[in-house]
Amino acid sequence: MKKPKITIGGIGSVLLGDDGVGPFVAGMLEAGCRFDEGVIVADLGTPGLDLVAHLSGIDALILIDSVANGDPPGTVTLYRKEDILRNGPSPVRMDPHSPALSESLLIAELAGEGPEEILLIGITGERYDVGAGLTAAARQAAATAVAEVLAELDRLNISYTKLQTESFSAWWKPLAEALPVSSEA
Amino acid sequence: MSKRITIDPITRIEGHLRIDVEVENYAVSNAWASCTMWRGIETILRDRDPRDAWMFTQRFCGVCTTVHAMASVRAVEDALRLPVPANAQYIRNLVLIAHALHDHIVHFYQLSALDWVDILQIPKADPAAASKLAEGLSPWTRNSRNELKAAQDKVKAVVASGQLGIFQNGYWGHPAMRLSPEVNLLAFTHYVQALEYQRKALQVVGMLGGKTPHIQNLVVGGVANAIDLDSQSALGMDKLETIKTLLDEVVQFINEVYLIDVCAVAAMYPEWFKIGSGVTNYLAVPDLPLDSNAAAYDLPGGVIMRGDIGGVQGFKTASDEVFRESVTEDVAHSYYEGEKPLHPWKGETEPQFTEWDGEKKYSWVKSPRYKGQPMQVGPLSQVLVGYAQGHPLTRKYADLALGQVSAIAKVKATPALMHSTLGRHAARAIRAAMLGELAQKHWQLLVDNIAKGDLTVHNEPVFPWGEIEGVGTHEAPRGTLSHWIVIKGGKIKNYQAVVPSTWNASPRDESGAHGPYEASLLHTPLARPEEPLEVLRTVHSFDPCMACACHTFDPSGRQIARVKVL
Repeated sequence: MKKPKITIGGIGSVLLGDDGVGPFVAGMLEAGCRFDEGVIVADLGTPGLDLVAHLSGIDALILIDSVANGDPPGTVTLYRKEDILRNGPSPVRMDPHSPALSESLLIAELAGEGPEEILLIGITGERYDVGAGLTAAARQAAATAVAEVLAELDRLNISYTKLQTESFSAWWKPLAEALPVSSEA
Repeated sequence: MSKRITIDPITRIEGHLRIDVEVENYAVSNAWASCTMWRGIETILRDRDPRDAWMFTQRFCGVCTTVHAMASVRAVEDALRLPVPANAQYIRNLVLIAHALHDHIVHFYQLSALDWVDILQIPKADPAAASKLAEGLSPWTRNSRNELKAAQDKVKAVVASGQLGIFQNGYWGHPAMRLSPEVNLLAFTHYVQALEYQRKALQVVGMLGGKTPHIQNLVVGGVANAIDLDSQSALGMDKLETIKTLLDEVVQFINEVYLIDVCAVAAMYPEWFKIGSGVTNYLAVPDLPLDSNAAAYDLPGGVIMRGDIGGVQGFKTASDEVFRESVTEDVAHSYYEGEKPLHPWKGETEPQFTEWDGEKKYSWVKSPRYKGQPMQVGPLSQVLVGYAQGHPLTRKYADLALGQVSAIAKVKATPALMHSTLGRHAARAIRAAMLGELAQKHWQLLVDNIAKGDLTVHNEPVFPWGEIEGVGTHEAPRGTLSHWIVIKGGKIKNYQAVVPSTWNASPRDESGAHGPYEASLLHTPLARPEEPLEVLRTVHSFDPCMACACHTFDPSGRQIARVKVL
C-alpha cells in the first residue's frame, strides 16, 4: 500500500504572544520525534490563502492553531473538517491575504485536491501582545497538543519514533527570557 | 443626500483593512482607508543582534515572508557597506522572483478575478465555443473543450449542491458584471489551473530557500546555500535543472494564460481604464542586482510626479541618496503620538488609540510620504517608471499587453490608460512576464558563474563600536519596501519597516492629502451602493495586504465581516 502523505502544520504568528502556540507545537514535534518520509512537520506561520499550496496532494492534515472560542486560556479543543467549514468563507474580503482556513480548504476541495482527513487542534489563547512569547497556559497546552497530534497519527496508523533527549527552545522568545537572569531579579 | 458605507472586517481575526466611503448620486464622494490592527512589531527588534533581524522581520507577514527577510539583510549590509557575492545575489534574485510570480498569480486568479468573473453565468457557457474563442487568443494547450467542460462541471456541481462554498459571498448577477458565459468559463478554468502553477513557483522558493513559507538560507553578507555541482544534497546541477524546469512551466503559464486573461478581461471592461486613478505620483526602487557591489540592476527605479511620465527621475541604486533623504512618516491621522513627520531612522511607534474619527485619527497605518507627497507603489509604479525611462524589457511586455487589449477591444490602448484600476491589473501581469524572463536569465547567470569556479556565497559581517545607519529596499510584489535600521555597538537601536501597503493604504497626512486607496475611490460610480462591488474592484487592484498581524481561528460561527450602509 502507498504510504499516506500527512502535513502537520503549526499556524500563527510567533511575534504575537499566544498566537505563536501553533508554530511552538510544530517545533516541539520536530525536536522530539522522528517521522516517516511521508510526514511533513511545518511552521506555516500566517499563510492566508497561500495555505492552499500546502493542502494539495496530501491525505491528511493536522493543524495546530490558537483559537478564540471563549473557553478558559489553555483549553485544547479538537475540530474536524465540518466544524471548520460550518461558517463558510468570510462575507467580504477587503484584504485578500487575511487568514483564510475555511477558504483555503474550500478552494482545495474545488480543485479536487483537499485532504480527506482534517484535524484542527485549537488552543484557546490568553494574550497576544507583541513580542511577549507564550503564556504559561499556552505553554502547558502545547504539551497536550503534542499528545493529540501523536494520538491522531496512531489513529491514522502512522508510525513515528519519540526521541528521548531533544528539547525545543523557541528562537523567537523575548530577549529578557533569552538573557541570563540578573542578580537583582 | 449622501450616505456612508463602511466595509469592515470587524475583528482582529479576519482582515484588518476597513474602507469607508460617502456616496452621492451613485458615485463615491469621499473615502477613508483604515487599518484596524496595530502594527508595532518593529519594537521586538530593539537590542537584538542585527544578524538575527531577518528571521523576525520574515514574520511581519505570513504572505510576504521572503520580502521582509530580504529587505532586512540588505538594510544591515547597507549599514556595513558589505558587498554580497555574485552567487548570493543570483540565488536571492531567483527566490525573490519565484515568490513574486507565485504572489501575482494568486492575486489575479484567487484574490481578484471573481470581482470581474460571474461564477453563476458559467453553467450557461458552451465549452466548445469557449475553446474556440481561447484558440484565437493563446497557444495554451489546456484550453480544450474537455478541459473546459470539466471545469464547468465543477461549477455545476457546486451550484446544484445548493451550497456555494467558496463562492457563496460573491456579488453574482451584479449589473457591473458583464463577461459572456464563455469568457467567465475560461477565466474560471484558469483559476483552477493557476493553483498548480503558483505551487510550482513556491517549490522553487522552497528548493533554494530550504523551507517555505519561511526561507532559511539567508545570512547577512550572502546566503547559506552550499554550492556543489556534483552533489544531490547541496545546490548542484540536479536541483538547478529541476528549478529550471519549474520556472519554465510557470513562465509559460504567465505568457500564455495570465497575461492573455488580464488583457481579455480588461478589453471587455474598457470603462475601468478611466476609473480608479487617484494618486499619480509613482515610486519604485531598482532591484535584481547584477553584481556583488550592486552597481547595476535588471529592474529600474525612480519617481514620477503628478502623472508626468516625461519628467521621470531615475534612481541609480537601490539605496539611492535622494530616496534615503526623502522618505518621512506622518502620523497626523494615525493612532500614534507625535506632531511632525519623522524620517524612518528617527521614527517612533508610540500608540495613542482614539475612536475612529474621519476628521482626526482613524488608522493604525502611518502615512509615508516622499518629499512630503503621497506616492502610489506597486506593479503600476514599477512599469510606469521603467516605461518612462525607456527600459527595453518593460517596453517589450507593456507594448505587447497594450497591443493585445487594443486588438480585442478594437480601440487604441495607450500608456495613458494605465493610470486606472485596470492599469494596475495589466501592470501586474506585465511585471510578471518581465520577471519570468529575468528568472531564466538569472538562473543562467548563476550556472555560468558557478561553472567559472566561483563557489563563494557569503562575506562575513563585522560590526563597528559606533552608531551606523542603513536602508534595505526591495521592489516587492506590492511595491517599494524599505527597512531602516540604526545599529549601535553591534545591537539594533532603532528599526522601522515602511511597507508597500502603508504607502498605498495610508490615511490623510497633515496637509489633508488623501492616501492612494482613498484617492483612487473618489468619483467611482456605484450601480448598487448596498453591494459596493466597484469599491472592491479598485481596492483589490492594489493587492492590499494587512496580514502582518494576529491570526486566530474563530470557530464560533459569528459573522466576521460586515457591510454596513448608514
